[in-house]
Amino acid sequence: MFLRHYALLTAALAFAPLSASAAPAVDQPAPAFTANTADGKTISLDSLKGKTVVLEWTNHDCPFVKKHYDSGNMQGLQKEAAAKGTLWLQVISSAPGKQGHVDAVTAARLNSARNAAPAHVILDPDGKLGKLYDAKTTPHMYIIDSKGSLVYKGGIDSLATADKADIAKAEPYVANALGALAAGQKIAANNTKPYGCSIKYE
Amino acid sequence: MVQPGSQVLIGLEQKIIPHWHTYWLNPGDSGLATSITWQLPAGTSAGPILWPVPSRHKQGNLTNYGYSDRVLLLSAIQIPADAKPGSSLPIAAKANWLVCEEICIPQQAELNLTLKVAAQRGPVNREIQAAHAALPENAPWPASVSYAQDKLQLRIANPELVAGKLEEVWFYPFKWGKLAHGAPQAVSRDGDTLVLDLQAGDAPGTAGETLEGLLAVSEKSGRQTLTRGFNVRATDTGAALLPSGTSSAAAGTDTSLLAAMLLALAGGIILNLLPCVFPVLSIKALALIRHGAHAHRSTRLHGLAYTVGIILSFLVLAGLLLLLRAGGAQIGWGFQFQAPGFVLAMAWLMFAIGLSLSGVFTLGNSVAGLGEGLAEKSGYSGSFFTGVLATIVATPCTAPFMGVAIAYALAQPALHLVLVFASLGLGLALPYLLLCNWPLLQRCLPRPGLWMERLKQAFAFPMYATALWLAWVLVLQAGTDSLLIVFGGMLVIAIAAWLFDSTRHFATSKRRIATLLALALIIGAYVFGYLGLKPQLPAAQGASKESAGQYWETYSEARLQALRAEGKPVFLNFTAAWCITCLANERVALNKDKVINTFREQGITYLKGDWTNQDAAITQKLAEFGRSGVPLYVYYPADKHAQAVVLPQLLTPEIVLEYLSAHP
Repeated sequence: MFLRHYALLTAALAFAPLSASAAPAVDQPAPAFTANTADGKTISLDSLKGKTVVLEWTNHDCPFVKKHYDSGNMQGLQKEAAAKGTLWLQVISSAPGKQGHVDAVTAARLNSARNAAPAHVILDPDGKLGKLYDAKTTPHMYIIDSKGSLVYKGGIDSLATADKADIAKAEPYVANALGALAAGQKIAANNTKPYGCSIKYE
Repeated sequence: MVQPGSQVLIGLEQKIIPHWHTYWLNPGDSGLATSITWQLPAGTSAGPILWPVPSRHKQGNLTNYGYSDRVLLLSAIQIPADAKPGSSLPIAAKANWLVCEEICIPQQAELNLTLKVAAQRGPVNREIQAAHAALPENAPWPASVSYAQDKLQLRIANPELVAGKLEEVWFYPFKWGKLAHGAPQAVSRDGDTLVLDLQAGDAPGTAGETLEGLLAVSEKSGRQTLTRGFNVRATDTGAALLPSGTSSAAAGTDTSLLAAMLLALAGGIILNLLPCVFPVLSIKALALIRHGAHAHRSTRLHGLAYTVGIILSFLVLAGLLLLLRAGGAQIGWGFQFQAPGFVLAMAWLMFAIGLSLSGVFTLGNSVAGLGEGLAEKSGYSGSFFTGVLATIVATPCTAPFMGVAIAYALAQPALHLVLVFASLGLGLALPYLLLCNWPLLQRCLPRPGLWMERLKQAFAFPMYATALWLAWVLVLQAGTDSLLIVFGGMLVIAIAAWLFDSTRHFATSKRRIATLLALALIIGAYVFGYLGLKPQLPAAQGASKESAGQYWETYSEARLQALRAEGKPVFLNFTAAWCITCLANERVALNKDKVINTFREQGITYLKGDWTNQDAAITQKLAEFGRSGVPLYVYYPADKHAQAVVLPQLLTPEIVLEYLSAHP
């Protein structure tokens, strides 16, 4: 009799604390969003169907972001993507007053100074888009295929360091994924560990 | 100074300014583990960083695993066997780490150290030794993991953990993404197994995959909290996710207050069905049937009074617990049952209620009016005290359940504890309260008749059965002599009941004398019984369970003083069955042949004090050393006048031996 009660009680307790924030999963439809860009446009994922979309979470003061911009690695990826007709969206989810938060003018100036070429910069100061995609680090990379499926999420490459010298030694996950996608092949490593600074959500 | 062929530990110390942290092996949602690249002379090699137990650092919705304030990262360096004494080994290390508060700064340092090779062992560095002792050890318990959709369940078979007074349990996976790093980890118990219900992370494991990680167990001993790490390797046995075990005290879970209150409410309702409570409720219902003719309002008020009685009693219980907790008392599962005096009183109370139900005596207009007296009573105080009685009567039957509630509640803030207990009381009162307020339900009750008397008498038997069980518990606690006390007391109670009932038609003055006599008999019986009880735990139940060829003696202050007077060295170990740190220390250090042999060779008497049941003498001894809890290890060197030396709370054989040799 006691045992029965035990089971009953615990069943209730065990299920109580589960409140998962459903993170987007690879090979599932990417969560739909509508967001504002730094050049005053509104962009929605639905309207981008037919194009490959890259989401790059960034924070220009983060040492890990600097690693990939100071070395030119990130700009290289952006340009290659643009040449293949891929739409590259840079997302800034830093909250006002926190590291990496910028206004539209500064965002544009930063990119031109770094010679960076994303198709658009999405300003996400309330962190809505970041939390929708469960983005955790800068950089944190996502690739959505032309059918609207999330096909890659994770790190930019395999070596989690802030040292520029490691870029050449790393397995370039994002470059490989974009290459495989263009060639119509399966992406080998499609869910990897993102590394970098934490995103400065409010 | 290092010896050829030996292994030395080299530590990288990080002193971290407040609010900043560096990272563990698996940094969690962001961040980067510290790394060390070694440049070593030929033949010398370095092992990986030996990671201490990390802590969790929450920032917004991100969770990191790492270290704050200070951490000493050890690596083992193997010195070549052919190293020549007198030569030196230059050791260079490049350390890279990321330190973050909200923003992150990658840092690095190049460090150099020269090790002198010598034929003999050099002095040991205390800090490194302490850090080494605090390292996680490999868990000796079998562990398994089961995977489901986005959840996984880790099961660790370990009676020590389950019996422990765990403050918090957290599983840190070695690999990134196996778990959602910040998700609540629901800890429960299933028999001897600790069960963790976990949420899968961004790179979830799949069926068949082994899950490896560090289980950090924090336990409270007195006012201190000790954290110990165990490396766990859980294999997938292919079993489906099992329902969790019973709930636990782990504060790492985010069980919401509301859920806990609802659970307590449900638990309270279930209490009504337990053998010792059901008769009380039924008798109230019977009373209601007789009340039938009365106004609804009166019935309703009776229900309310009963409810208030119960809830107030539960609040008193909650208050009692809070007081005990504030006093730093060790409260465990069914704590009240550690006190033989309490068990004795409950056994007698059950017996007395049984007698009353059997009709040996009836408590007329008295406080705890039961049965007929209750039914005839018009005052609401009767209903109120029935509520109080229901709570008291419920206690022995509900000990296993109350243990769960208490354990949960104790880990919560005071307000939570009070609310949970109030909910529990409301649950217990609810069936009768509904019955009183719902005339429709009352109509469902059968017609009064002789069957009510028979039913009431039948309810006596579960009471006797409970008394029997409690007598058995008492024998376990206080030995067979207590049988005489518990049954002798019952005899006295029976006589008192008879005296009380047979004089009920006497004149008031005589009646009063008889009542007083009966009361005196009962109080006398209890006082004598209580004094006569000798709490004695059979050794098999305590922490001091050992096989033959025992190499320690049970601690007593007299024995200690005698040994000291003779100037003999003594090693003192205060332990408890529920103290995991204590047991771990015994397993990894004190029970090792190396240590036992040294004790023997040096003629050290090893005294062990078991604090499993609170022992005033040991508590006092602990206080002498400024401690309020176990473990406590003290070494008294041979000299009569030598100062006692207190050892650290985390031991390795080396630490013990070093303390022994440092104080010859």
